[in-house]
Amino acid sequence: MANVLEIQGLSKNYGSVAALQNVSFSVPQGSIYGLLGPNGSGKTTTLGIVLDVLNASSGSFQWFSQPYSGASKRRIGAILETPNFYPYLSAYKNLQIVADIKKADHAEIEKVLDVTGLLQRRNSPFKSFSLGMKQRLALAASLLGNPEVLVLDEPTNGLDPQGIADVRELIRKIASEGKTIIIASHLLDEVEKVCTHVAVLQKGILKAAGPVSEILAQQDQVLVSVAQTENALSLLKTLPFVENIIPEREWLKLTLKQGFSSADVNRSLFENNIIASQLVVRKKSLESQFLEIVNK
Amino acid sequence: MLTLLRTEYRKILPYRTFWVILGIFTGLLFLIVRSAASITINGQTAGPTLYNFPDIWQRLTYIASYFNLLLGILVIILITDEYGFRTLRQQIIDGYFRTDVIASKLLVLLSIAFFATLVVASLGLGFGLSATENASAQQITGNMMYLVYYFVQTLGYMVLAMFVAFLVKKNGLAIIAFLLYFFVEWIIRFKIDDSINQYFPGKVLNSLAPNPTQSIIDSAVGITTTALPPQQAIFPAVFYIVLLTVFAYLLLKSRDL
Repeated sequence: MANVLEIQGLSKNYGSVAALQNVSFSVPQGSIYGLLGPNGSGKTTTLGIVLDVLNASSGSFQWFSQPYSGASKRRIGAILETPNFYPYLSAYKNLQIVADIKKADHAEIEKVLDVTGLLQRRNSPFKSFSLGMKQRLALAASLLGNPEVLVLDEPTNGLDPQGIADVRELIRKIASEGKTIIIASHLLDEVEKVCTHVAVLQKGILKAAGPVSEILAQQDQVLVSVAQTENALSLLKTLPFVENIIPEREWLKLTLKQGFSSADVNRSLFENNIIASQLVVRKKSLESQFLEIVNK
Repeated sequence: MLTLLRTEYRKILPYRTFWVILGIFTGLLFLIVRSAASITINGQTAGPTLYNFPDIWQRLTYIASYFNLLLGILVIILITDEYGFRTLRQQIIDGYFRTDVIASKLLVLLSIAFFATLVVASLGLGFGLSATENASAQQITGNMMYLVYYFVQTLGYMVLAMFVAFLVKKNGLAIIAFLLYFFVEWIIRFKIDDSINQYFPGKVLNSLAPNPTQSIIDSAVGITTTALPPQQAIFPAVFYIVLLTVFAYLLLKSRDL
């Protein structure tokens, strides 16, 4: 499938601070692409560059495999960080300005206000809105012009649980229309719940990128319980397919390289006369996987 | 082009600050011009002859030139607001390029300059016609070129304000920097020969609306100040307007938003 966005070797320095270092990844058409990382990991910097508000120190990017133009800008709806509107203008008037810039039909304004549940407050000034309403207005604005790609930076930030659920539902609905969605989030749970692909950033370095099923789910953990822990530990350390060992009480938590399973562990132990009393395969929790990727 | 301007006015027309500043501009100018006739110097009241065509155009544009600072401040507020609200950033995301941003601001400045010139023209016609009996068309339109000079002058002030706004981004600091510029240029001019300093941006702009009593002042003080006549000053003025617009664009292009 074609890529909506391709990023090659993007770097960004703020003075001596390297906010982004040689980041490359591609966003396939129709995916819900999560940019995952703790605060300050370079998510917003990455989005800022591809949205033309930040200048990259080096590297390049293409939207829709084309040079960047006004036309390609208007195929993208985006929220970066905070909702940005004129505080003294009403929701409707603010969206009129956005519609002008996106060359969108003004008849769409009522529609997007309705979708985001703001129709009743369309004539209230933006400054009177709660944070959640501001966020939803930003979402409404990004939907104007029926863009093919939505770029959302922390879209559920500051929303109450109902608001979060509504926004996620909306994202899924939009995605089901075949649109591509790029979401930056520090919430693992959010990425796991809605994303098909993920790129993990840490201190400006891309740690992993690909389908969620590959990045976040494939490496299961194998828990081994043996009588002779010391012997087992020294043996397991020599095994080429064991990536990581974490002793935890009577258990040894193992992470295996791709293509290996608990059977391989069992066989090796047995061949070396170590009998496992218990062998458990456990789906790794999202948090532990994330921390593993990030601390690699 | 027109759509850019229409979008700008969607932002500006409901903005109270815009109306307040234009109201002050129009109101104060009117009051000053009205009361000018009753000013008494050396026991002589200026009287309604002050409004006589065609001299009124130079007098009026000279008085109006003092209000350019006010219009400059308006421009600074309008542009730095876009940084404060972060709407400039959003509009770049939504589809504008930096050239669109500069073009739309320039269109706003042109329209404000046009409005200001219209106010001055109306005041001139109003007071002039009421003071001059049987004014001939030739009398009225004579020296009307001063309105063109004034238009370029007020545009020049506002373009400088636009540049400062894009440079400084914060409204309070930008206003101080804008006002300080004229003061600093004035100080520097003392050190530099008139033949050179007459081309300085501030002096060029001021030369477009020369003080009608300059020759009297000069003879009283005993020195002659050299400045370009407005018909010559208009060329460097337009040059500075273009240059500052290009600088504002380069500034916007080179920096992160």
